[in-house]
Amino acid sequence: MKMTKIYEGSHQWIMFGRDEGKPANIIDTNQYVVRTPNRCLLLDPGGAELFAPMMAAVLHHAPVDQITDLFASHQDPDVISSLGLWDQALTNAKLHAPAIWEGFLRHYSCESIEYVPISDNGGTIKLESVELQIIPAHYLHSPGNFHVYDPQAKILMTGDVGAAFEAPDAPVFVDNFAAHVEKMRHWHQRMMPSNQAKRVWIERVRNLDIDILAPQHGRMFKGDDVKRFLDWFDALQVGIAV
Amino acid sequence: MTNQTKSQFIAVASITSELSAVMVVAKEISLAAANAKAIAFRAGDKAKGFQPITDFINELAKETIELVTNINIYALVLYRLTVDEFQKTTAYNKFELAAKMAEGAAYAKSMQEPVDHARLSMQDCQRQFKRDVSQLLGQLEAVMHHARAARVIAANSRIEASQAGEYLQSLQAVAESVDKAAHTIHDNVQRCRIALSIYRNS
Ligand SMILES: [Fe+2]
Ligand SMILES: [Fe+2]
Repeated sequence: MKMTKIYEGSHQWIMFGRDEGKPANIIDTNQYVVRTPNRCLLLDPGGAELFAPMMAAVLHHAPVDQITDLFASHQDPDVISSLGLWDQALTNAKLHAPAIWEGFLRHYSCESIEYVPISDNGGTIKLESVELQIIPAHYLHSPGNFHVYDPQAKILMTGDVGAAFEAPDAPVFVDNFAAHVEKMRHWHQRMMPSNQAKRVWIERVRNLDIDILAPQHGRMFKGDDVKRFLDWFDALQVGIAV
Repeated sequence: MTNQTKSQFIAVASITSELSAVMVVAKEISLAAANAKAIAFRAGDKAKGFQPITDFINELAKETIELVTNINIYALVLYRLTVDEFQKTTAYNKFELAAKMAEGAAYAKSMQEPVDHARLSMQDCQRQFKRDVSQLLGQLEAVMHHARAARVIAANSRIEASQAGEYLQSLQAVAESVDKAAHTIHDNVQRCRIALSIYRNS
């Protein structure tokens, strides 16, 4: 598992991904970790297959008992099917996840972890002195979907928005936006169901000061590429399968 | 899923299916007993020896149904335990793998506690499963006992039937069906026991 520190300040952001031991037939994912002095938040901690390499990677940054918070942007298996395993490994943790998916996500087993339901209009996650904003992103692509914004680090974690699929050794940041577009187009057209939801989300996100846009698959967008992505996404027709 | 886990799932699932067949047969016996009672009543003195036997058959059928109902509840508990054990075993294996992969990491040692805890709860589950299997085997033994008793009664019924004059044939048919049913119950329960016996507490 490749680890890349993407923010270092009073707290840290670390991106985990490009797992070389991953079975070829499961989708590659990026996991993000927010680390404060005594706590640790895992954003979209990943599928059950990924649990062991992910846990091992986190142990480079925090001990098990400081993994206190998990966040699931939505209910997909590549996002959170590892829940049942985290549930047995962590003794004092919370899962922040969409309220509407509670009954569904509990199928993965969530007994020792406390399920903190996020209502449709979002909320916050407090991690010691750091306050993260939970930004609604419903229908992008899941009917109950959230992104996480860190106003201090200026990072927006966007789940499946901005996703692309590429070689296991691909760089973690977009370096040629024009070329990258082709790796994203079909995914967004096919996976994102609603032009209206997309418009509302873009409006909301344009008001945020973003240095890094961090999706769950593919590469992150930095600096001007963030605006390029929003413009490109704005102009894209989605929901093409009907 | 390992072969051991797979066969455990199958063994537990097979109890339920074998027992539902036992239930059907036990109900047949109870019906045969009601039939026999009616015939014996009509036969009057000629089937005098047969009457207490029909009550006994009926009693036996009722007890078997009750036992099987209880065993079914138990089998469900055993199924949940199997699921639980599977989850705990999976977790333990993944935790061990994570610990191995984390070698050299700054906080690798902190994984020891979850590994130990997972191992203990997995072993707990295995012990509990073995304990419950032993108890279930005991209950199945009781059903077998009933089936054996039913066969003895069927043999007695045949003797009594031979003295029932014109009712001989119908009473013999009753004895026949009790015997057949008892045989089926015996076989089914025996299959359950064989499937489970490898998990017995040794
Ligand atoms: Fe998804
Ligand atoms: Fe995804």
